[in-house]
Amino acid sequence: MSEILVFFLHGLAYAGLLFLVSAGLTLVFGMMNVLNFAHAAMYMLGAYFSYAIIMQLSGQFWMSLMVCPLVLFLIGALIERYLLRRVHAYGHVQELLLTFGLAYIIAELVKWYWGNYPLAVNIGKILVETVPIFGIIYPVYRIFIFIAAVLVGTAMALILYKTRLGIVLRAAVNDSGMASILGVNVPLVFMGVFGFGAALSGFAGVIAGPLLSTYPGMATSILVDAFVVIVVGGFGSLGGAVIASLLIGELQSFGVLLFPDLSVALMYLLMAAVLIVKPSGLFGEEQ
Amino acid sequence: MKQKYITLIRIFAIVALFVSAGLMPLLLPQYNLNMLTEIIIFALFAVSYNLLLGYAGLLSFGHAMFFGVGAYMTAIAIIHLPGLPIWSAVLIAIGATIVVGAVIGALLLRAKGAYFSLLTLAFNALFYAIATKWTSMTGGDDGLGITRPDLSLGFTIVSMATITNFFYLTLIVIGMGTLFCWYFTHTAMGGTVLLMRENEDRMKMLGYNTNISRLFLFIFTGAVAGLAGSFYTLHFRFVSLSAIDPMDVGATVLLITFVGGMKTFWGPIVGAFVYIMLQNYLSTVTDRWPLLIGLVFVLMVLFIPGGLSEVIVNMYQRFFGRKDRNDSASAAAEEAKS
Repeated sequence: MSEILVFFLHGLAYAGLLFLVSAGLTLVFGMMNVLNFAHAAMYMLGAYFSYAIIMQLSGQFWMSLMVCPLVLFLIGALIERYLLRRVHAYGHVQELLLTFGLAYIIAELVKWYWGNYPLAVNIGKILVETVPIFGIIYPVYRIFIFIAAVLVGTAMALILYKTRLGIVLRAAVNDSGMASILGVNVPLVFMGVFGFGAALSGFAGVIAGPLLSTYPGMATSILVDAFVVIVVGGFGSLGGAVIASLLIGELQSFGVLLFPDLSVALMYLLMAAVLIVKPSGLFGEEQ
Repeated sequence: MKQKYITLIRIFAIVALFVSAGLMPLLLPQYNLNMLTEIIIFALFAVSYNLLLGYAGLLSFGHAMFFGVGAYMTAIAIIHLPGLPIWSAVLIAIGATIVVGAVIGALLLRAKGAYFSLLTLAFNALFYAIATKWTSMTGGDDGLGITRPDLSLGFTIVSMATITNFFYLTLIVIGMGTLFCWYFTHTAMGGTVLLMRENEDRMKMLGYNTNISRLFLFIFTGAVAGLAGSFYTLHFRFVSLSAIDPMDVGATVLLITFVGGMKTFWGPIVGAFVYIMLQNYLSTVTDRWPLLIGLVFVLMVLFIPGGLSEVIVNMYQRFFGRKDRNDSASAAAEEAKS
């Protein structure tokens, strides 16, 4: 029984990470119709910047948790302003190619500067501390990941549905041309959203780095998982991303427990099943 | 009259290309012959990729899945069925990729645009995961090594142990594959693919089932990639995880196709030459060549979206513009000019 609980909590923690990465991805896709391949590269950069701050500049974990998302917001906004906007008129293939090229370059730069091997980020006591919960002893850090994801998700929902900024954002998603005519600075909104997605991804990278070691392949592995999340949840749907993250997180966690040989394939089987039953995803709109 | 003249020139050019390639073993040292074999294999791989990207406008990140399945099936067939003729190994590989293409293609029938890209990457990741985990079959991280079977022609047996003989086999088989792809672009089905890219709704109005066309194209390009993958294994006598890795060989084929130019049929062939020669040269100079290639790629996306073939076509038109006005290698080339 306690074993099941442990795996359930593990699943929740991974679901939290997945949500942080896929929320930005699905938001950018819903709004700008750009599938951002460089999104997971931002996650990786978050982890590596955090490594640089903590291990190379001997800073604090909390400091990197504040600084890295800001830096990545800037990087994301600059990418949107100076690169993505240039190729927007050529259609989505060019945009995909551009973000793919950026992801490729970022991965190479990271390998060049930090080396092509896993790095350990030592953040001190918080990583190893445990707490008794529901009759078992569980690491605090994984609970922290889940809570952080819940807080970010709640804040996003509140902003999107309860504020004036949220109305502007949703208007830009719905009909960017009309929103533009009504006086919304749509390019600025897009730049902000792209930067925000990058910051969110970087935030996830900072908290994932110490737990799941920091290495150049981390971008691809989470990118594929995040893609499956937005296929299952439905494109551009934040609620879908929440549900699908939980599904995939728990599936991966229990897959290891129940079918160790099949665990890698389970996620894709779920994706194939969703594609057959409802190609637009569980919460996606029919195309 | 003029059209006939141009067709003759084109056939002559293709024959000249084959003959000059056929003379290469006499001229080139063994190292370069190895490289040329690799270029030919990747040229076919890129040509098949371009049928999706350039002709149909579908950006796939899952082409390595076909290449890898072809490569692995060849190795597995040769290892587990001793005495297997080389043809059978290649045919088994192609058969396997056709099955993969049909199943995956059926699952992403309705996917278009970015959605297609995302799903192909996800399915490729599935195949990569299987290759990683199923170590008893694929060798996992260690890969699989094979000995190249000899070629039996019925009346005689040609040894495939030397690179020269294998080069000729590659040139003939892969050359035929490439010509067949070229032929495909001139068939009615090839035309359907182009029209589908330009205006799918109109195609549907005219009564075409675009889903079937897309599925067929997906299976066809997959099978061609499987042929390339099969020869990849035969050439290197080894297959490892990189052959099915969407971020390794999958990224390579995308770079080759894009650098060569996706708006013409022959662009990817030029791309394979340039990319593999550049890779061989740069990797002796610096360890950071993927970074250089990545930078070149991004700059080209920003400034020369038509790739090298666009540069060549533009140059040609600048100097011989009038003569070339009505001559186009394909409908895709037509667009490069407009």
